[in-house]
Amino acid sequence: MFNLIAQEASSNVDAGKAIALALGIGLGSLGAGIGIGNIFGSMIQAVARQPELKGELTGIQWLGFALTEAVVFYGLIGGLLAYVLV
Amino acid sequence: MKRRSVLSLAVFLWLALPSLALASTTEGGEEEFNPEHDFEVGEWIPIHLGPLDLSINKAVAYLILGTICTIALGVFLMRARIGAKNEVGRRQAVGEIVYEVAQTQVAEQGLPHKAIGRWFPYVASLMLFIWVINLLGFIPLPLSNETFDLFGVELPTLAIYAATSSISVTLALALMTFFFTHYEGIRANGVIKYFKSWIPDVPKAMYPLIVPLEILGQFMRLISLSVRLYANMLAGHMLILTFIGLVFVTGHLVLAPLTVGAAAAFYLFEVVIVVSIQAYIFAALSAIYIGTAIEPDH
Repeated sequence: MFNLIAQEASSNVDAGKAIALALGIGLGSLGAGIGIGNIFGSMIQAVARQPELKGELTGIQWLGFALTEAVVFYGLIGGLLAYVLV
Repeated sequence: MKRRSVLSLAVFLWLALPSLALASTTEGGEEEFNPEHDFEVGEWIPIHLGPLDLSINKAVAYLILGTICTIALGVFLMRARIGAKNEVGRRQAVGEIVYEVAQTQVAEQGLPHKAIGRWFPYVASLMLFIWVINLLGFIPLPLSNETFDLFGVELPTLAIYAATSSISVTLALALMTFFFTHYEGIRANGVIKYFKSWIPDVPKAMYPLIVPLEILGQFMRLISLSVRLYANMLAGHMLILTFIGLVFVTGHLVLAPLTVGAAAAFYLFEVVIVVSIQAYIFAALSAIYIGTAIEPDH
């Protein structure tokens, strides 16, 4: 009986961990998705208004893209750490 | 024309081989599919100096290979002689593109004018080196901990693994930038003026709040610089391996065209975009950090 309860608890913990990891990364991606959309949207607008600045803006665009994209991976690493440690 | 098609077929077969190797190891069925095993570095030639562990492992082998490839690429592209009639050869043209990206996009973005001569070699070689080891990570190479039987000979399986998907490698690169930043800042401004430049213009009452945050921020740069590259490469490899492994996890071969197709799409995304972007970002941020340390006002 106790054995069964313990087994169920451990499977519950595993399920909770999986849900937490997936939810955390999903919400993290949400923020980064909005950010990346913003960057490329602004870039399109900027180039449409002043096409001659395209060369200068491209570098800034990729820098912003990578900085925003990295936020997901901080979430991922944090989630994996929590998953392994807890 | 015929030679080119034979070459592309050979490249395609070479790229298709690892999935076969993966299939052959998991065919037994008793082995569970664990993509994280691919990121264990193992220990090939143990070298222990007291508490220091300097063993040659998978990541070190990839780093050595990457160094050789970077040097070869540099010599091949940059040491080309100008043609007899002052014409620009193909090799030289490619070399000039690489140089121009490093010059205009990386060095001039971050470094002040007077420091470009001094720090351009560092940021340019950082960019080229990270690009090469990132790219090596997506070419299937017979450098792995697992072996398979081919006509009775034990051969290491072809595997994709990037040295930059190990946090130690990226942390070492980030530590180099961290050290150079503060060395250059102190050399250019003097100790007191440099550390004063960390603190922004705020009322004196805010100092107990701002000063620890700014000091923490300097160390957060180290973490963000190393974790960005590490997590990007780790997640990219994990994504590809997981999509290919989905066939073995579910056990339905029907899914193969779908998952292998998705894995190929992610592979292309990683090779075409992520590899170059991450190399560029690492070098550009290093240049910006060193530049702001030299001229804190900008």
